[in-house]
Amino acid sequence: MVALPPCLLATVTLTGGHEPVQPPMHDGNTAGSPARPEAAALEPSTPPAGPTFLAGTPSSPYALPDDPFASPPHAPAAAQFPPPEWHEFYFTRAAYSSYSRGWGRRGNSWATDYPKSDRQFLTVLQRLTNLDAFSYENAVLLTDESIRRYPFLYALEVGYMSLSPAEIEGLRDYLMAGGFLVIDDFWGSQEWLQFEYQMSLVFPNRPIVDLDLEHPVFSTFYDIEEILQVPAYGRWGGRTSERDGYVPYVKGIHDDEGRLMVIVNWNTDLGDAWEWAEQPDYPLQYSTFAFQMGVNMIIYAMSH
Amino acid sequence: MSSLFEFLFKYRPVLFQEGDLSFLTPWPLTVVAVGALVLGVPAVLTYAMARGRSRRRDRWVLGSLRGALFGVLFLIVMQPALVLTSVVPQRNFLAVLVDDSRSMTIEDRDGTSRAAKAADLLDPEGDLVAALDEEFALRYFRFSSAAARVGGLDAFTFDGSRTRMGGALAHARDELQGVPLSGIVVVSDGGDNADEAIGEALLPLRAASVPVFTVGLGDAEMEADVQVSRVDVPETALTGTSMVVNVMVDARGYAGLTVPIVVEDMGRIVTTENVTLPRDGQPLVAPVAITLETPGARELTFRIAGRVNERVLENNELHTVVQVRDRTEKILYFEGEPRHEVAFMLRAVRADENLQVVLLQRTAENKFFRRNLDDPLELVEGFPTTREDLYRYRALVLGSIEASFFTHDQLDMIADFVSERGGTLLMLGGRRAFAEGGYKGTPLEDVLPVVLDEPTGATPTERLAFLKVEPTPAGANHPITRIDGTAEQSATRWDSLPAVSTTNIVTELKPGATALLQGTVVQRPGMPGTGGQLPGAQPDEQDTGAAPAGEDGGRVVMAFQRYGRGRSMVLAVQDTWLWQMDHTVALDDQSHENFWRQLLRWLVAETPDPVEAAPTTVSVETGEPVTLEANVLDAGFVEVNGAAVNAQVTLPTGEVRDLPMEWSVSDDGLYTASFTPQMDGLFEVSVDAGRDTVTFGTAATSVRVAPGTDEFRDPRQRRTLMERIADETGGRYYTAETAANLPEDLQFTGGGVTVTEERDLWDMPILFLLLAGLMGAEWGYRRKRGLA
Repeated sequence: MVALPPCLLATVTLTGGHEPVQPPMHDGNTAGSPARPEAAALEPSTPPAGPTFLAGTPSSPYALPDDPFASPPHAPAAAQFPPPEWHEFYFTRAAYSSYSRGWGRRGNSWATDYPKSDRQFLTVLQRLTNLDAFSYENAVLLTDESIRRYPFLYALEVGYMSLSPAEIEGLRDYLMAGGFLVIDDFWGSQEWLQFEYQMSLVFPNRPIVDLDLEHPVFSTFYDIEEILQVPAYGRWGGRTSERDGYVPYVKGIHDDEGRLMVIVNWNTDLGDAWEWAEQPDYPLQYSTFAFQMGVNMIIYAMSH
Repeated sequence: MSSLFEFLFKYRPVLFQEGDLSFLTPWPLTVVAVGALVLGVPAVLTYAMARGRSRRRDRWVLGSLRGALFGVLFLIVMQPALVLTSVVPQRNFLAVLVDDSRSMTIEDRDGTSRAAKAADLLDPEGDLVAALDEEFALRYFRFSSAAARVGGLDAFTFDGSRTRMGGALAHARDELQGVPLSGIVVVSDGGDNADEAIGEALLPLRAASVPVFTVGLGDAEMEADVQVSRVDVPETALTGTSMVVNVMVDARGYAGLTVPIVVEDMGRIVTTENVTLPRDGQPLVAPVAITLETPGARELTFRIAGRVNERVLENNELHTVVQVRDRTEKILYFEGEPRHEVAFMLRAVRADENLQVVLLQRTAENKFFRRNLDDPLELVEGFPTTREDLYRYRALVLGSIEASFFTHDQLDMIADFVSERGGTLLMLGGRRAFAEGGYKGTPLEDVLPVVLDEPTGATPTERLAFLKVEPTPAGANHPITRIDGTAEQSATRWDSLPAVSTTNIVTELKPGATALLQGTVVQRPGMPGTGGQLPGAQPDEQDTGAAPAGEDGGRVVMAFQRYGRGRSMVLAVQDTWLWQMDHTVALDDQSHENFWRQLLRWLVAETPDPVEAAPTTVSVETGEPVTLEANVLDAGFVEVNGAAVNAQVTLPTGEVRDLPMEWSVSDDGLYTASFTPQMDGLFEVSVDAGRDTVTFGTAATSVRVAPGTDEFRDPRQRRTLMERIADETGGRYYTAETAANLPEDLQFTGGGVTVTEERDLWDMPILFLLLAGLMGAEWGYRRKRGLA
């Protein structure tokens, strides 16, 4: 567990919705359920506008990790080992460094939809499968050695990802040791370039390849016959895409022996569907696809 | 001692053992008694009544001496005699069996070979043969692996590859059936190495009253010798399987010396292991790790180079044959829920082309995920419901799946999978496994090698304990748990691995089970639950550090036992994936991969096929017959009679010959055939069995044809065996030095045509010495007391 200064633990306001939020505080020495800020997390809010980007640098689409605008991720207070309850599975969110994404919030793109999205997905996951899953969010720094106790990792808004050398090494070792990473919620070519660049720092020579519908990840639990573009909340009236991300892709990164280490959901936002699935106006087809895809990815990770 | 006895008592002790005492006096006993009284009583009374200067004590002493004197005289007058049954000269036969095996060529400490000693003993011009020839019709036999009648010592080659004393005795008795046989003389070093109990061969001899006289040759002890006595190598192995072979070494005279054991695979050195030789008489068991990569029949040689002053070098190496199979073994892994353990275990063995782990994973209620299938319909209905379907697999792994998932028939079927099919069952730790999974009281409770306690009702979190795992003494060199090159490296590796967790409380082994891994509970700060304390135990107030659980302070992590034809094993932890994933484990660390690869290979290593074939003797010499046996079972592992079973024997030259195998009739499913190899080399045998259009399976085995070294195993004289043969048949044991007594002993202890013979004892020197002694004592006493 990495100790973080108290000033970093109180920088985020609980606003719910698409905004990054401060994770709930868990008392690591006490048994029982953690605090549950459902009221704030589950309260609907205005659908966010598309993110804006900072200026880039010659060697990166946007900035280098030591860019003065980059800031370390806020402390994921739930990231503790051992967790407060023993379970087979923890939906673990990667807390990584990122650039400011506007609206006065800096360096917390990892916490997008957090924790409501995680909790609602876990609720459905427990209902659909017999997986023994911890019911609450579990965010861990990439530099935290305890991350190696959680073989499944979820990261989103990676278009703003700006990893420090320690994070690069932490993620590389995590994946090479056997970890499995799911990437979600980044759109368009610019964000792709940033993500691709960050991945090239983690794995300099490992290509990101398309996964077609024949891949087992699309049939491990549910038979998925079409890759839908899951829109952000409120974008289903007209076009579902953001920026120039018109076509949704599911891509992957493999290790030397062909093991799928990273699944990349590009031009789609599964997390938003998980977060807003309870809304009556949220289209069922998108939330259904998002949950099916989420379940499939987890079952795949735990059986391959 | 024997000579003194013979001087005093006129005859050798054996005559007194064999004969009966009798008195030959022609007078009736009453007459003799009255005469003795008439002469003796007055004489004694004369002393007793005499007064003068004598004291009462003097009179008693002198009276007793005189009485004893008369007693001896009385004995002599009675003409004592030994009544003996002695063989009639030249009316009886005597079988002389001479060991013609290679061990007779061993030179003993005096520089003379045992064969030379035998030749000297049985020299036709020698005293022994002359004496025997005078009394008996001699019939010579040579024996090694078989016995044969010979004319004389000229026929001996001392080149036999095996010593079958029981068979030789039976052969001699059978050949001389119907003639008066006084006995059998066996000249040997006693190095019997037949797989037959000698007692069975002695029973007919005892029944026929044919005594066996054994002449033991050879040193009873070897002052300097190193011997590779035994190697425990499985008959079959998968290609690439790492095995830890126990090599037993016996040594004398080299205590503390470090020597290398060299292992060769078809002449190519595959490994060398240094061992320190133990004290005399203490066998050394050295674990040697080897990996066989080339498929087919592989001849392995385990060798220790000859040492200084070692006289017998032939026992410094041992040969064995292993069938290395390059095939895919199917293991069914049934997991009751999604678990990281599944993915990491499958990844650990994914590069192993000899293992096919078929995964059946329950991912939701009545929903299953299947993987690594041969056929899209395989397991489509879930866990097998018929024996045929389940018996297709060679091992079964049960993960976190509760007992109530299965029907009672399925639980019975799993138990039969182990006990009847000979498969291996592995139960993994998990919240739905062991007692916590409701297996107590089910058929699988008997199968498992650990005791299942009553479930405590605690939640998995309350039961959760972190265990620091270490190998038990048995696990230190076991092929599963030796996860690095040497035992020391493996121990270091185990010490470096992180603690893993369990939610099962497994603390007690069943009798006969073997534990390979044990765990010590390590408390994790901040972790809820009992922290590994057993129910009722006091919690650790410090909440940190080691908190032992169980009566012996630890948990059973991995154990196995035999159950019927198969084996069962438990691995009572739930996240061995931490040995791969934890941040304390280096990325290039292969502990997790090695552990699972070796474990899964072990699971299938001894699982029988429906068709199994093996020779009754894996190593023979040219000209020795080989008997092949094949067991044929159907898909349900029920014996099949009346099948068409054919063996194809591939000679060392590459020539292939068909050899039909016949049902043995005596045993269901057992088929046999024989052939006699006429050349040295490795004879590879392939057996296929079928009936009509049904094929039951094929099996491969091999026979090594080469000059054997069994004769040089334990080159000492087996005196105990030689004495036992003599004792149990009424004969006697002799050394080369005492063999001169054989003719006389044979005369009175042998069977055949005999007469009763009386031998006088009245003239034994001991009697006259007694008379003279008593008279001298009386005279001396009187002189001393002034009564002369």
